Amino acid sequence: MEPSAALRGVTVVLDDRAILRGIDLDLGPGLTILRGANGSGKTTLLRAVAGLTPLSRGTRATSEPPLLVSHRTALLRALTARENLAFFTTYRGIAAAHVDQALARWGLAADADRPLERLSAGQRRRAALARLDAEDARIALLDEPFSELDAEGTQLVAEALARWTAERRIVLVATHGHSELDRAAARVLAVVDASVRQQ
Amino acid sequence: MIVAVRRSLRRALLVAGRDLTVERRQPDGLVAALTFTVTLIFVESLAVGPVEARRPVIAAALFWIALLFAAILGATRSLERELEDDALDGILLLAGGRDALFAGKTLALAATLGIVALAGGSLALVLFDLTVALPFHLVLGVALGVIALPPVVVLDTLLALRLRARALLVPILALPVLVPQLVAATQGTAAALSGDAAASLGWSGMLLAFAIAYTGIGLTIVPAAIE
Repeated sequence: MEPSAALRGVTVVLDDRAILRGIDLDLGPGLTILRGANGSGKTTLLRAVAGLTPLSRGTRATSEPPLLVSHRTALLRALTARENLAFFTTYRGIAAAHVDQALARWGLAADADRPLERLSAGQRRRAALARLDAEDARIALLDEPFSELDAEGTQLVAEALARWTAERRIVLVATHGHSELDRAAARVLAVVDASVRQQ
Repeated sequence: MIVAVRRSLRRALLVAGRDLTVERRQPDGLVAALTFTVTLIFVESLAVGPVEARRPVIAAALFWIALLFAAILGATRSLERELEDDALDGILLLAGGRDALFAGKTLALAATLGIVALAGGSLALVLFDLTVALPFHLVLGVALGVIALPPVVVLDTLLALRLRARALLVPILALPVLVPQLVAATQGTAAALSGDAAASLGWSGMLLAFAIAYTGIGLTIVPAAIE
């Protein structure tokens, strides 16, 4: 069964301000790019799809729990990259071998057993992205996935996006730049005035 | 049903194991709780005087008050770590993650509190020169007290998680709810120290009931309450 994610009439109000208003969104397999100015509500939209933001109105539905990689890693700094990823794979009942493969794929094999707090910001970001491979997440929500990454890391993300898209995953990427992604995207959306518009 | 319970338990143990690994690597929460407990017991004993502090009910009260604040300290520190880098979001997005978070944090706090109770209890026995009439009852009562406090403390800490004034709110929310546990633990410990087996077991049973009730309440409330 193919993954699916949808928002129906979603309004999100934060600090007495409507960040999103009456959003209807259907996400299917493939790459969807989400654009918008700073503070337009891209991150809030991703968190709404993930179920991490309370909805003032409307509903959300996903075929399975999404995996969100946001500006922060959502990993514990005191644990190593391997320990962090192993926690999630064990929780989901996924073989431990996936962790090693994912960390190697993201260039972290040599640093897998160092606590995250000793790694650079770019390496921590890679560890967070490696979760998507380790857990085989079918719904991937990525907020500025290229930030803090060097050229090699940026290339790894581009390759991963192509791979996940080919694997028929839902991949929703919020980003300012990287207009080259638009060519590979099934859809390009923009958050403008608390609404989502097709570009 | 059995499969679901076993799966939930496995997930809770995973979260608890993750918490304890972090605590072992960065024991600032445990060290703070230990230091606080030992200092509080010592200061309280000075405040009431050596003769009063040797009375079983006073000694037990000093011990449990210190342990109660240590529990709040430990839970707060544990959840603070989850907020760094939004690690909490990673768990919240897992299927059954909210249940596992509550149960796992409760188990981990009980384990941490067990260490604090051992150290604090040993100190209290030596410092107050206490005679233990019923050692088994004392160990049972303390063990049940240690598992009765965390469900309430973790529940309140999770409910206050997204609030800016959570450091202030957690004690205000938790302490009134914990009064029955505090009374039961104090009276049960005092009974074990003074040789009243029936009373000690009665209070211990009450602590067990509190632990079960608040674990059930937590597992019911937390999935709906945490954003």
